[in-house]
Amino acid sequence: MKPEPRGKVENAAYRQRAAGAKPDKALLEYRALRAEYGELVAVKDLSFAVSPGEIVCIIGPNGAGKTTLLRVTSGLLKPTCGQILFRGRSIDRMPAHRRAALGIVQLFQDIQLFANMSVLDNVMTGAHVWTRVGFAASALRLSSAVAEEKRIREAALNELETVGLAERALEFPGALSWGEQKLVALARALMAHPSLLLLDEPYGGLVQEDISRLTALLRDLQQRGVTILMVEHLTDVVMDVADRVVVLHYGEKIAEGPPQRIRHDERVVATYLGE
Amino acid sequence: MMRELGVIIPAIADRYGVRGGRVASVIALAVLLTLPLWGNTYLVTVFSTIALYSIVALGLVLLTGLAGQVSLGQGVFYGIGAYVSAICTVRLGLPPALAAVIGVVVAGLVAVPVGRAILRLRGIIVAGVTLTVNLVFFYLVVSVSSLTGGATGFVLIPRFSAPHFMRYSTFVFYLAWLLAIVCLVLTLHLARSRIGRALKAGNLLAGGSEDTAQVLGIDVMHYKVGAYVVAAVFAGTAGAVYAHYMTVIEPNSCGAQFSVLIAIMVIVGGVTNPWGALLGAGLIVGITEFFREVAPILVGGPTGAYELAAYGIVLVLCLLFLPEGLFSLPARLRRRREA
Repeated sequence: MKPEPRGKVENAAYRQRAAGAKPDKALLEYRALRAEYGELVAVKDLSFAVSPGEIVCIIGPNGAGKTTLLRVTSGLLKPTCGQILFRGRSIDRMPAHRRAALGIVQLFQDIQLFANMSVLDNVMTGAHVWTRVGFAASALRLSSAVAEEKRIREAALNELETVGLAERALEFPGALSWGEQKLVALARALMAHPSLLLLDEPYGGLVQEDISRLTALLRDLQQRGVTILMVEHLTDVVMDVADRVVVLHYGEKIAEGPPQRIRHDERVVATYLGE
Repeated sequence: MMRELGVIIPAIADRYGVRGGRVASVIALAVLLTLPLWGNTYLVTVFSTIALYSIVALGLVLLTGLAGQVSLGQGVFYGIGAYVSAICTVRLGLPPALAAVIGVVVAGLVAVPVGRAILRLRGIIVAGVTLTVNLVFFYLVVSVSSLTGGATGFVLIPRFSAPHFMRYSTFVFYLAWLLAIVCLVLTLHLARSRIGRALKAGNLLAGGSEDTAQVLGIDVMHYKVGAYVVAAVFAGTAGAVYAHYMTVIEPNSCGAQFSVLIAIMVIVGGVTNPWGALLGAGLIVGITEFFREVAPILVGGPTGAYELAAYGIVLVLCLLFLPEGLFSLPARLRRRREA
């Protein structure tokens, strides 16, 4: 007799194997996804999948629906129709905060650090999904709350150490440079233990030195098993970092493949890269 | 409790640059706690009123200062606490302490659906809607006169069973200040916790962002409703104590003017600082008493409702010169000296 499978995930994998089915490899899958702002169709019947551990870049001209796609994925925007599957489970009706708990965390193009909190508190906020202390325990400062707070603070200082900003922990976001703010936002997102990071133009506005620093960080995340879906304009970066590129044009996918093939795709060159 | 206060008060004072904060806070606390020994009944009553207002204002600090949600309707929950407790004692014959607890619980329970409805709204409209809810509550209390006593008020509410060795006003003074300090400590704790961060993250008035909060896994609505309920529980607590203190309540004691006054206290004291709620309550009650009791003696005759004008003037002066409230004054002075 086979040993009893333990966790839910193992259980699912076990059942698939038992049924002789090929395990579903995609971490994230779009099926005929459509998103609209009123009259405007921002994403048109889009289908593609992202495998675990991949870095996938979405490129395309302005208004191609790239940011919309990220917002639909994180749950800030409801799709009109179609499906989003995360680990084989449909998530398109799930609110954003529950998707974050599943491991889907988005970083915005304009960073959006909380201006009313110190850098440390900003990063500590990222721990929300895996912490549990509620109103009563916090208000009474029970020992469970104190212990959890200590764990959060240590983890946050660790993340700040990783991005090299530990000594700025007590400053407010306004005192930091744009590049530093981006790193704080990344540290805050990493505090949430994401399995899928959604990045919206993470390289925008960075100087060359910060660009290499960010690339190294993203590669390191990939090593740690984080899957990255990002929108990026800088062609050099995309060609360097991406495992796969998806090209959007007016909400439709016009090409998909490894960076080298995309670079020479006629349609892509004509509509986008050729500019 | 005292050990915590001994740590918290000087720590806060230090952070805001109050030199000799430890000495000053111990003296202030000593003066306050011995007040019934050297002050007359009038002074004791005034300071009990300050404590009760502080409790309501602390709830609003939590709601507006942390969660970024304005409210001009805290009188509703003050009123629910007061009326439910009064009804439970007079009509159901329950002891005042138990009735007060029921009043507070009812205030908290009512806040759940009301909060869920109101907190969907954004911006200045919330002020209008909360004020409207307060007006509706006022007319409800007036019209259900068989239960509430209507416009003339609810009379003959029994007192708490106080120990025999102290005056009733002294007992209420200590009860009110005990509750105010408990609410202060709870608010300070909440502000610096996981919950405080979740509330600040969704605070649209002060640099938070609901979208960012949500993609970090924060159910913004849940925490805002939570803050609303805590604020309601604070207000209900003050209302219930007030009912058994005064033994009389009338619709005006929890009307729109009450709610606006609480908002002024919080703005004048400093909306993001729990200590500001105490300062604001002290200042506004001080102004009220000055114009009602002291001014007539000075001018040798009855005066009009000048306190209403004074509230307005203090509010405008604060918004012009101290937009972060009275509590930011020490830090400002220090910065000026250093500059």
